[in-house]
Amino acid sequence: MGCGLLATGILGGLILVGSRRLSHLDAALVAYTFATLFATFGIAYRYAMWLQRPPTAMLWRRGWQVFLRPRALLRNLALLGHRLLVVFALNRFIWRRHVARGAAHWLIMAGTVLAVLITFPLVFGWIHFEAAAGEHGRYVTYVFGFPTLAFHVDSLLAGLVFHGLSWASLLVIAGVMLAMRRRMRDRDAAALQRFGEDFLPLMLLFSISVTGLMLVVSYEWMRGYAYEFLSILHAVTVITALLWLPFGKFFHIFQRPAQLGAAFYKDAGERGEQARCARCGEPYASLMHVEDLIEVERKLGYRYELAQRADHYQRVCPRCRRSLLALAQGRCFGGGAEEV
Amino acid sequence: MAHLPRSDLEIIGRFGPHLAFPEGDRLDRGVEPDRVVKTHCCFCGQQCGIQLKVKDNRIIGFEPWEEFPFNHGLLCPKGVRRYLQGSHPDRLLRALVRDERAEGGFRPACYEEAIRLAADGIARVQREHGPDAVAVLTGASLTNEKAYLMGKFARVCLKTSNIDYNGRLCMVSAAAGNKKAFGIDRAANPWSDIPDAGVVWISGANVAECAPITTDYVWQARERGAKVVVVDPRMTPIARTADLFLPVRPGRDIALFNGILHLMIENGWIDRKFVETHTTGFDEVAAHVKEWPPRRTAEATGIAERAIRQAAEWWGTAETSFLLHSRGIEHSSHGVQNVLGAINIVLASGRIGRPGCGYATITGQANGQGGREHGQKCDQLPGARDLSDPAAREHVAKVWGIAPGDIPGPGVDAYEIFRRVDQGGVRGLVSICFNPVVSLPDSSFVRRMLEKLDFYVVIDFFLNETARHADVVLPGSLQEEDEGTITQVEGRVIRIRRAVDPPGEAREDWRVIQDLAKALGREKGFTFASPREIFDELRRASAGGIADYSGMTWEKIEEQHGVFWPCPREEHAGTPRLFEPDSWNPIAKGKGPFYFPDGKARFVVARYAPPAEDPDADYPIFLTSGRVVSQYLSGTQTRRIGPLVEQYPEPRIEMHPRLAERLGIGDGDWATVETRRGTCTLKAQVVRTIRPDTIFIPYHWAGPRSVNRITNSAQDPISKIPEYKACAARVRKAEGPPPYASEREAQQ
Amino acid sequence: MPVPADRHFFIDPRRCIGCQSCVHACSECDTHKGHSMIHLEYVGRGDSPQTVPTICMHCDSPTCAEVCPADAIKRTEDGVVQSARKARCIACSNCVLACPFGVPKMNVGFELMMKCDMCYDRTSVGLKPMCATVCPSQALCFGTEEEIRTLRPRSTFVHAFRFGQQTISTKVRVMVPKESEVLSLDVTAALNEEEAKDPMAAMFTEGNP
Repeated sequence: MGCGLLATGILGGLILVGSRRLSHLDAALVAYTFATLFATFGIAYRYAMWLQRPPTAMLWRRGWQVFLRPRALLRNLALLGHRLLVVFALNRFIWRRHVARGAAHWLIMAGTVLAVLITFPLVFGWIHFEAAAGEHGRYVTYVFGFPTLAFHVDSLLAGLVFHGLSWASLLVIAGVMLAMRRRMRDRDAAALQRFGEDFLPLMLLFSISVTGLMLVVSYEWMRGYAYEFLSILHAVTVITALLWLPFGKFFHIFQRPAQLGAAFYKDAGERGEQARCARCGEPYASLMHVEDLIEVERKLGYRYELAQRADHYQRVCPRCRRSLLALAQGRCFGGGAEEV
Repeated sequence: MAHLPRSDLEIIGRFGPHLAFPEGDRLDRGVEPDRVVKTHCCFCGQQCGIQLKVKDNRIIGFEPWEEFPFNHGLLCPKGVRRYLQGSHPDRLLRALVRDERAEGGFRPACYEEAIRLAADGIARVQREHGPDAVAVLTGASLTNEKAYLMGKFARVCLKTSNIDYNGRLCMVSAAAGNKKAFGIDRAANPWSDIPDAGVVWISGANVAECAPITTDYVWQARERGAKVVVVDPRMTPIARTADLFLPVRPGRDIALFNGILHLMIENGWIDRKFVETHTTGFDEVAAHVKEWPPRRTAEATGIAERAIRQAAEWWGTAETSFLLHSRGIEHSSHGVQNVLGAINIVLASGRIGRPGCGYATITGQANGQGGREHGQKCDQLPGARDLSDPAAREHVAKVWGIAPGDIPGPGVDAYEIFRRVDQGGVRGLVSICFNPVVSLPDSSFVRRMLEKLDFYVVIDFFLNETARHADVVLPGSLQEEDEGTITQVEGRVIRIRRAVDPPGEAREDWRVIQDLAKALGREKGFTFASPREIFDELRRASAGGIADYSGMTWEKIEEQHGVFWPCPREEHAGTPRLFEPDSWNPIAKGKGPFYFPDGKARFVVARYAPPAEDPDADYPIFLTSGRVVSQYLSGTQTRRIGPLVEQYPEPRIEMHPRLAERLGIGDGDWATVETRRGTCTLKAQVVRTIRPDTIFIPYHWAGPRSVNRITNSAQDPISKIPEYKACAARVRKAEGPPPYASEREAQQ
Repeated sequence: MPVPADRHFFIDPRRCIGCQSCVHACSECDTHKGHSMIHLEYVGRGDSPQTVPTICMHCDSPTCAEVCPADAIKRTEDGVVQSARKARCIACSNCVLACPFGVPKMNVGFELMMKCDMCYDRTSVGLKPMCATVCPSQALCFGTEEEIRTLRPRSTFVHAFRFGQQTISTKVRVMVPKESEVLSLDVTAALNEEEAKDPMAAMFTEGNP
């Protein structure tokens, strides 16, 4: 709860500062701002709760510990850059699962990130545009109240910037289409998907994108036909998505960086001492990982402690665990061929 | 003429074996098949029911067929992956004609040209050297319709007596033994009798790997309290959990059966009433097995005496029982004797022809049963009729519309055909569904004989190791590209349904044969429009014979999920269990259940003798061979299926650690096995699950990995089956990997 | 649709013949097409042909799910522990190492844990899982308790397993002898046993007569 309030407070503060005490805050966007503040609270709260689970806490602690190890820090920083690129920017692991999956996810992600980068600063008043003094058709971009880039309203850059949200919508729609195709067609999806978990997010993204585009169509080509209705409709879709952010599939956006922690944890484990199986003697995992898991399992209330061969069942490798079940079962039947 | 013009490696590069894996449509979870075809697996005699998914004339996957009563959807890995043989990159889509200048030694040819060249070549050899100079080799994986057509083709069109088939390497010992003892050659019982058996005796059958789904039947029996006895030189997976495992020394099975019968007589475990009412010859056999007391049996078989006594007690005192055997006892220069030994202990127990009381050989090839009934065997006419029986000749000649005298007399067995090549009697060869370069023993000889041929025509779907020697290769059909019937292990005739059309210029095998007949100018009798028409003629040809199919129709087969022969009338439902006490058969005519004029089964003395080549000071180790679960026969199909090859990529020499230690060989080391016929260098697999006096090598591989280059071609005098299961060898550690290891992939 | 409540997975590892039919068939299932989720291993090929097939036991309270830092593993209402959710799994391998039965597999390239989900595409529409449908020895069997009692009169089943002081109950059942009356199988007890090293030694004599 505290974390939630803290995060919300920080964002609130940033909005105050960034919009120069709300002077650049667009009144039409107030509803968005409050939805965002709520989402921030929800996400921070859930994140904090999540971090308290024993396995997450362990990964969080170890992740930072191994990342910040002085001897490994330089290499880790380089690796971080690499991983941010291939894992986060390029989604290589998703493309490997399937090209269509990779394409769908990347398009949705790229579109959403682009939209977020444009929208939120605008909503919070962190960015605003002002006509350059004395020069017709020329605008200056203000970031956190400081003037930065200036451009002409007919320039290509202007086209890109002012229509950035349209481009984002198109990316998202393409991605949603690909994802929906798979969900409608593939038998694995048919068996596993759930409405709330899998369809709802796609529908939200789709409706945000489509209503956003309808706004553009309305003011560009239809002289603002039904503009007010459309803007309310668009706001409803966006606010729904924001409010839903902490609860549904979108929360993975905030959990996902843990993948980096896991990767650095694995790196450190591979370089460290290996655990050898108490039954077969073969190495099967890093000793750090095995001991961390023992601690996590104890905290979770498991009692995998053993009396013989090892102190804890975690010290038997997965392969031997599989054999043990068969051996235990065979023993019940008195073994194999009769000794005569 | 049929020399290989190019190196093996060039031919392999062009024609495979290459591997196929699931990809494209076969991995797409969104593709819906156009249709799902209920048919059967093509790999092995069990013929498990399976459904193939078809899309755009390609097989894209499978679905188990749980309603089929024999296997209820169960499948071994070969069945699961069989769909990958379709649309294979190695598939022959056009005819090939030998051309020294072309890549791989063959040029593609249009089908009509190839048929003409094939017919011309056959006609030339026959014109110059007589009809018998052209031999026909066929296979037991062919449907009944094709098997029937091949026999007719050889005798009516080619007028040659030299036709034989690869069942010669498989079921002939069991067939001969069964004929001698029962007068009929078929599994006596359906598999549904196995679960009711009180003792299941398995001799020389690696059930888990060669007939995997039979495992469940054996376990069903165990769950009802059955004792399972397994006799094998290796502790196979089914032997591991057996109640009693008898690790017999290779080639000593007769001794064991005689020893068991000795103990049965000694302890009064004989069904006297059955023996007196339904058998003859018991006294002679009883006198013979007197010489086989447990001590001598133990010495000969290498099995502990107390284990033999225990086995005899269980077998002797059982209420119900089922005895199964297969190639382990049949692949022997005394194969028929081994089978007779097994039958003797069944007959003495009186436990046959009743529910839960059974006996069967486990056929190995897809149509191992049907393939030996319809006239592609050198001494046989359709309906399991004897070729030298005048009445049989007359009946079949009438069906064929020729004079009985025009049917050639008995020819020689498949191996002897190659010896005839050596002697000059056979100069031309037509083969289908047979890969003797991999599957016959002492195969270097076979290869030399193929090179010696004047003219060689092959019908096949892949260019296998034997077909590489051909002058003309005609593209035939895979099992799923044609329809027909097959008679599986139980004697149940089942329907093979066509799932896809033959691709490219490939044709159904029966069309290829008919086109050849036409090109030879002897079209009469080879104008069938469909396999169904062939089946209808087969029914008439088999009518009144022992293997009587005359009452079967494809509809009845489909409705009943198979019909067991004999089925002599249309209203007859078929005969799942033979030898039921009051059953009628055309030989005994009501005098008794067995297929002799007096209706009685025969006890036949089974005389023990060691294998033709027993270990000695120079070659002190037994070499035995067999299958692995992921491969089928010579591997023409299964060595092209990627996931199956990955499961067990190449053959290994199984040996006991005591032997390995003596030879200084470790697990995974390269070792050279040497027999009087040559050497074979493979990796060793050191396991305690084999007798220390024996090594085992699976036989599915070709070229330098082929164990059949060094196995013995000694044959059983009656069945002519080669002795794959025992010869003398010596083993030494190899200095390093042989050159082939780096030149070819595992399956090549 | 949920998996029917009266149908269960029954495993009898004794029956396994190591043929790998299940391994091949597993990769034909739509939820993990091209990837086999089954482990099939020799217990020790040098000494015995014994093999052991491992599918997910679908624990009532799955250790894998509880040690997952990303909440990626969910058990559906029908008791099936599903494969890791793709959006959440961070490929940390905690589940792989913690599962008491050694079930989950890490697909390194996908950065994703994948495991047996009882062929959810099949079982959720009333079919049997692929492995149990094809298994030639029926070491893997899927059916009702009624069917298994009829088919295997000398066996019964347990679905509780002891690992040291921990007892884990599962959806999947393992066959035990009827007369044994064990209520749970002590898996780790097998750790303390030396297996017979030469299973054939007592049964034969060597050399030629």
